Amino acid sequence: MSVTAMSVPTQPDVREKVSAQEWQTRVDLAALYRLVAMEGMTDLAGTHISARVPGTEDHFLLNPFGLMFEEVTASNLVKVDLNGEKVMESPFPVNPAGFTIHSAVHMARPDVQCIAHTHTAAGMAFASVETEVLPISQTAGYFYKRIGYHAWEGISTNLDERERIVQDLGDHRGLIMHNHGLLVAGPTIPAAWVMIYQLERICRTQLEAMAAARAMGQDVVLMPEEVAMKTAANFDQSFKNAAEGRSNFDWEAYLRALDETDDSYRH
Amino acid sequence: MPATAVDTVPSLKGKVPDDEWEARVELAAFYRLVAKHKWDDLVGTHISARVPGHPDQFLINPYGLLFDEITASSLVKVDMDGNVLQDSAYPVNAAGFTIHSSVLKGRDDVMSVAHTHTVPGMALSAVEGTLRPVHQKALRFYNALSYHAYEGIADDPDECARLQRDLGSNDAMVLENHGLLTCGRNIRSTWALLYNLEKCCSVQIALEASGGEVIELSDDLKESTYRQFQRTLNSNASFGSKLDGWESSLRLLAKEDPSFMH
Repeated sequence: MSVTAMSVPTQPDVREKVSAQEWQTRVDLAALYRLVAMEGMTDLAGTHISARVPGTEDHFLLNPFGLMFEEVTASNLVKVDLNGEKVMESPFPVNPAGFTIHSAVHMARPDVQCIAHTHTAAGMAFASVETEVLPISQTAGYFYKRIGYHAWEGISTNLDERERIVQDLGDHRGLIMHNHGLLVAGPTIPAAWVMIYQLERICRTQLEAMAAARAMGQDVVLMPEEVAMKTAANFDQSFKNAAEGRSNFDWEAYLRALDETDDSYRH
Repeated sequence: MPATAVDTVPSLKGKVPDDEWEARVELAAFYRLVAKHKWDDLVGTHISARVPGHPDQFLINPYGLLFDEITASSLVKVDMDGNVLQDSAYPVNAAGFTIHSSVLKGRDDVMSVAHTHTVPGMALSAVEGTLRPVHQKALRFYNALSYHAYEGIADDPDECARLQRDLGSNDAMVLENHGLLTCGRNIRSTWALLYNLEKCCSVQIALEASGGEVIELSDDLKESTYRQFQRTLNSNASFGSKLDGWESSLRLLAKEDPSFMH
């Protein structure tokens, strides 16, 4: 670093250069980066959250590499293709490592608009234990039998791994990436926010429940299968509503929470 | 309003060489980041940085200030014998000096040393066994994490040799029954090492407590991942350093409270 690096990088203003739908996607995606940061789910400048550009099959928005999520804005998101190559001018680099995971899912699942991937402590711990999302809470219903499990193959995701990622994800709404972290695939950006927020809490809750049960010499208490399935089906309906434009998961409430402290994501 | 610690310390900007000033700003930022993550311990624990161009001098915290009060100008410059080399209203903590000077004296390649007493760090340091290489992040430290037995508050200069021996050529060490230590070739890499090691401790405490069977990785995968981390960090400075978000973190700190740059 030098003291000169303290100056804010030149921020492009792309609002007039993109469609209204793309601009809205940029604002929402930047908001999601900020929400993930607000919840402490970041890993310095690592990991990605990506969103498909509306009306395209193979253009995606991605974080400018090197910026903490708190500095991501609508305009500095970088537009890339499936290989992580820029398709629109940007002064920022992108980190192609890890985007392979996203592009694999985006390619296979046209119903997915937004993918979030995290390396949180609870997520990594959960992902390193031989277990599954157990029906031990209502919240677990968000992912009970709705999440896949993917074995870790090392950092540099080779292109073959795409097939296995797609296979392990199936039509689920997320992946526990063993020995690595969490991934959710949402039909909309607000849905991806609710998913990553709840999956994080599911991991924390289950790890704590397992620890307490173990200390007490007990098993964790599973709800009856039909109750678990009914709960999961309720959440299915919520995500279906989001996918079909009938719900945005009260997205405005989260934007208000951001706007109260810092609305710079909107620029 | 009472005068703050910041107000009472005269600025050294322009009075020390530019490279020393930059090291001071970065080191003060490091203290603020540790405070922000709540990895501080009242006025205890230390982070140090060698003075650029003066391998026998380093900067350390003014003892008595909270980490979120520390500024570039209030950092204290000392030599390897503990002599304070500038006017300072604050002393240097003896135990901190022992640990930090030991590492800096023993390792020419190290420019910065960080040490914390976080709950996950202390908890892991109090459990028999080592950091388990069972996830991507932990593999950064695969066969590359040192352990040092606790000897009491570090006020015995003889401990210096044992600290150096136990650290060896690694850049991270568990101080058993005590906390964590990282040391890097610059300030930002020391921060990134600390961030990752802290997270690894949180992961391990959570997964061990759960009692779940751990998903083990093959030796091949562990070794190749460790080597990959080394290659990324050593060969491609721009990639390796961008992952740490350092400039971005400093800008965010400056936006929130620019006093660390005083």
